[in-house]
Amino acid sequence: MTAITDIPAQARLTIGAKAALITVVVGALCLALEGIAPWLVKWPTAWELPATQWVGAFLDWFLNGIKPAMRLFSDLMTYPMDAANFVLANTPWPILIGLVTALGWYLGGLPMAALGFFGLSFVLASGYWTESMNTLALVAVSVPVALVVGGGIGILANEIPRVKNFVQAVLDVMQTVPTFAYLTPLLLLFGFGPVVGLIASAIYAAPPMARNVMLGLERVEPEIKEAAIMSGGTRFQQLFQVEIPAAATQIMVGVNQCLMAALSMVIIAAVIGGFNDIGWEVLLTMRKAQFGESLMAGLVIVVFAVVIDRMSGMLATERKRYDQRVVWAVLGFTVLFTAAFWLWLPNPSELTLLDPLAGAIDSGLTAFTQANGPWLDALKNNSLFYVLLPLRIGLDQAVLPFTWGFQWTPGMSYGLFAAAAVIAALMAWRGHLTGGLVVLILIGMLETGIANLPWPFVLTGAAALSYVAGGWRLAALSVGLLCTILVSGLWERALLSLYLSGAAVFSCAVVGGLIGLASAVWEPVWKIVRPICDMLQTIPLFVFLIPVLMVFQIGEFSAFLAICAYAIVPMIRYTRHGLVNTPAEMMEAAISSGATEWQIMRDVRAPYAAPTILLGLNQTILYAFAMLVIAALIGTTGLGQSIYLALGQADVGLGISAGAAMAILALIADRMVQGFAEERRKALGL
Amino acid sequence: MKKLSVSLLAMTVAGSAYAADMGAVDEPIKLAINEWTGQHVTTHVAGEMLKAAGYNVEYVTAGMMNQFQALADGDIDATLEIWSSNVSDEYAKKVSEGTVVEIGDLGLDAKEGIAYPAHVADLCPGLPAWEALKDCAQVFATAETLPGGRLVDYPADWGTPGADRMTGLELPFKAVPAGSEGALIAELRASTERKSPLLITFWQPHWAMSAYDVQFVELPAGEEACFNDPAWGPNPNAVNDCDFSPSRIFKASWSGMEDKWPAAYEILTNYQLAVEDQQPMMGAIDVDGGKVEEVVGAWMAENEGKWRPVVDAATQ
Repeated sequence: MTAITDIPAQARLTIGAKAALITVVVGALCLALEGIAPWLVKWPTAWELPATQWVGAFLDWFLNGIKPAMRLFSDLMTYPMDAANFVLANTPWPILIGLVTALGWYLGGLPMAALGFFGLSFVLASGYWTESMNTLALVAVSVPVALVVGGGIGILANEIPRVKNFVQAVLDVMQTVPTFAYLTPLLLLFGFGPVVGLIASAIYAAPPMARNVMLGLERVEPEIKEAAIMSGGTRFQQLFQVEIPAAATQIMVGVNQCLMAALSMVIIAAVIGGFNDIGWEVLLTMRKAQFGESLMAGLVIVVFAVVIDRMSGMLATERKRYDQRVVWAVLGFTVLFTAAFWLWLPNPSELTLLDPLAGAIDSGLTAFTQANGPWLDALKNNSLFYVLLPLRIGLDQAVLPFTWGFQWTPGMSYGLFAAAAVIAALMAWRGHLTGGLVVLILIGMLETGIANLPWPFVLTGAAALSYVAGGWRLAALSVGLLCTILVSGLWERALLSLYLSGAAVFSCAVVGGLIGLASAVWEPVWKIVRPICDMLQTIPLFVFLIPVLMVFQIGEFSAFLAICAYAIVPMIRYTRHGLVNTPAEMMEAAISSGATEWQIMRDVRAPYAAPTILLGLNQTILYAFAMLVIAALIGTTGLGQSIYLALGQADVGLGISAGAAMAILALIADRMVQGFAEERRKALGL
Repeated sequence: MKKLSVSLLAMTVAGSAYAADMGAVDEPIKLAINEWTGQHVTTHVAGEMLKAAGYNVEYVTAGMMNQFQALADGDIDATLEIWSSNVSDEYAKKVSEGTVVEIGDLGLDAKEGIAYPAHVADLCPGLPAWEALKDCAQVFATAETLPGGRLVDYPADWGTPGADRMTGLELPFKAVPAGSEGALIAELRASTERKSPLLITFWQPHWAMSAYDVQFVELPAGEEACFNDPAWGPNPNAVNDCDFSPSRIFKASWSGMEDKWPAAYEILTNYQLAVEDQQPMMGAIDVDGGKVEEVVGAWMAENEGKWRPVVDAATQ
C-alpha cells in the first residue's frame, strides 16, 4: 500500500479493522523475527514462575488451617446422608415405584405417571436398584444443600447490588473449573467418603439456582414491590412474603436445573469412591471396555435425569389439578401389592432382565467395527492429515511426503502468504477491509498451527477480539488472565486444549447449526433429534468413550469426536429455538410483502435469531471445555491430562492451576461471545 | 480394658501363648475395594480370612489413586494390592509422614512388558524377539505417529515405561498414552476383533491376558545395571534398553491398625496370594460372569490349607 491510498483508508477505519490491523502487524513481526528471537514464539522456561508450587504450598497451608471446621461439617453431613440412605435402601421397591407413579399423576396426569412407572421399572429390570438408591440418596442430600447455598447467594446479590458483579464471577468460576481439578483438595478437607461427592456436586449445582433466583427477583414487577413497601412490611417480610413468591416460576426453573446438574456430577463423585453407587458401576464396566453394560448403567442415570427433569419441570409451569383420588388409589394398591406379595418379591440386585440386551449391543458394536474398519480408518486418517494436524502444528510441519504426498518448503509458505495478502488486498479494495485482514490472519494461523502460535500474537489477538466485543475492560481482563497462564508454565498445554476445543467448537457450530436449521424448518427432524439431544446431555460422558475408542482408537480424532458429541447439543437447541421463535408480527409483515420461504429465513428469521444462536455458540464453547477433561481419558495432551496427572498424584497445586487455566480460557471465550451477542441485540433493538 | 480382653482371650483360646490380641472386635475393619477385579479377589480373600478370625469386615469402594488420604485418616484400614509401577506420589508422602505403613508383599508375581495380541505375530514375523520390531514399525504406523510405529502406552499418570523402552532400544515407535485402563482394553479388543496390528504396554496378572491372547515381546532382562549404566545392553548409549524392572505388589495399612486390631494386623501382614490362585478367580468373574463373593467363597472352601494357617498363627 502506498501512503496516498493509506490516508483515506485510515480515515474510515472501523474499530474492527484497527484491531485486525494491529494483530496482523504483530503476527507478521513475530514471523519475521522468529529466527533472531526464538523467545517470541516459545515462552522461555526460565521466565516461568513456579506458580503451581506456590499455589500448592499456599493451598496446603490454607486447607490444613480450615480442615478441622470442614471435618466437623463433613461429620454433620453424614447424618442426613445416612438417613437418606437408610430410608431409600429399606423402602421395598414396589412402594417406591408406587410413590413416584402417584407423584407423577399429581404433577402431570397420565403421561407423567406413566413416565415415572416405566422409568423406575427400567431401573428395577437393570439390576442396579441398590446402586441407584445410593445415588438417589446422594442427590437427595446434595440438592437441598445446593438449593440453600444457591438461593442464599442469589438473595445476597439481589439485596446488595454492589456485590453482583463479584457474585457473577464466582458463579462462573464454580461452573467452569473442572470438578476433577478440585477433587483432591476436597478429599483433604472433608475426608474420604460420599460427603466429598456430595460437596462436589453441590458446588456444581448451586450456580444455576443462584442465577435463576437473581433473575427471578430482578424481574418482579415494580408495582408488586411498591405494594409491599406501602403495606409497611419489613425488608425481610417484603422479600419472603411478596418478592420470592412472585418469582416462584423462575426459581422453579432454577430448582430443575440444579437437580439436573447434581445428577450429572454423580459419575464424578464415583471416581473417589466410598460409595457403591451407579457411577461406580459405570466406571467398573468402563474399565473392562464393556460397552453394553456401561451403556445400561449409564441409561439408569439418564432415566433418573429424565424423570426428575420432566417432573420438576412441571413445577415451573402453571398446571391444572388432577384428581387426588387417583393418587390415593395408586398408593393404596402399592401397599396392598407389597403386603400380598411380600414373600415373593424378587431381590432387585438379582434381576438381570437387561443382560441379553447389553450383550447384544456389545456384539453389535463388534460387528460394526469389523465390517466397517477400512472406510472408518480412511475417514480418520483423512480428517487427521488434512484438517486436525495442519490446525495443530501448521501446514509447514503437517505437510509431509507420506501425508500429503509432498514436502512443504519455505517457498510454499511465502507463496501462501503472498496469496493471502492478495486476497486481503482485493477484499479491502472492495470495501471489506476487516474481512480481508481476518482472512490474512486465519491463513497465517493455518500455516503456523495453533500449538505453535507466537505468544505475543495470541495475546494481541485476544486483546483485539475482546476490545471489539466488550471494550477496554474486557481486553485488559483477557490479557491479564492469559498472562497468568503464560507465566505459570501451562501455556503450551493451554494452546493444545485451545486447538482441540477450537476445532470441535467450529465443527459443532457448522454441523449443529445446520441440524438446528433443519429442525426448525422441518418438524419431523426435530422429533428425531430432540430425544437424541436429551440423551447426549444426561448420559455419563464416559460411556461414549468406549465405542469411539473401539472404532477410531486412542488419539486426537477420538477425543475430537467425543467432544463434538457433547458440545453440539446446545448449538442445535439454540439455533432451532432462535429460528422458530420469530415474533408473529415480523413474520406477517414479511409474508404480506410477498417474501418466499427462503427469503424469510435469510432476511427475517436468521438476523432475528442471531443473538440466540450466539448464546448457543457460547454454551457450545463451555461444553467443549467441560468435555476436554473427560476426553483426556482417551489420551489427549492438553490441560485435561494435567488435571488427571494432578488427581493421580494428589498434586493440589498443579490440579488447581490447570483447572484455573481451563476456566480462564472458557471465561474469555464466554465474555467475548456474550459481548458480540449483546451488540447484536442492541442492533436489533431488543 | 486391654488386660481384660487378654484374659478373656486366654480363657477362650487355651494354650495361645503367642497369639496376638484381637483388639476392637466389634468395630468393623474397612478394606479398600479399588477399580479392578484382581484387587477385588485379593481383598475379599483377606476379608474372609479376617471374618474367619472373628472380625467384622466392611468393604469400601475407593479410587486407587485417591485412597491414601483415606488410609492416612483411618477412614480405610487397609488396602491390599498396590502396584509399585503405578502408585501415586501421595503414598510415599503419607508413608514418610508416618500415617500409612507398608505391611509386606502380597506375593503376586507380576510382570509388565511390551505386548501384542497373538495374531500380530503374523503381521510382524520374528516376534516375540524384540529385534523384529525394528523392521516392521511401518506395520504399526498410524496417522498420528507416521513415519514411526504406534505404541499404546500406559495412561500418563502411571508413568511412561513404554516410551522409555522405545528410546532406550532406539526403536522407531512413538508412544501414545492411553488415558485410562478402559482405553487400553478397548484397543486390545478392537485389535483382536479387527485383526489389526497393535503394540501395547501391558501387565499380568490381568484377565485380558488370556481373553485376548496377549503375548509379551522378549526384551533383554531388566537388570539393575540397565537402568543406571548406558553401556549395558544392546544400545551402548542409553539406559532403559531392556525389559521392565520387576514390579512389586504390596499391602499397606493405616498406622493405627496395629494397636487397634493386633491380630488382624498380623493376618494381613502375613497374607499372601499367588498368581495361580488369583488368575482363575478373575477369569471366573470377568469371563464367566460370577459374583466375586461366590467365587471367593468357593475358593476359600476348597483351599483352606492355603489360608487357615495364617489365621490360626495370629489367633491361637
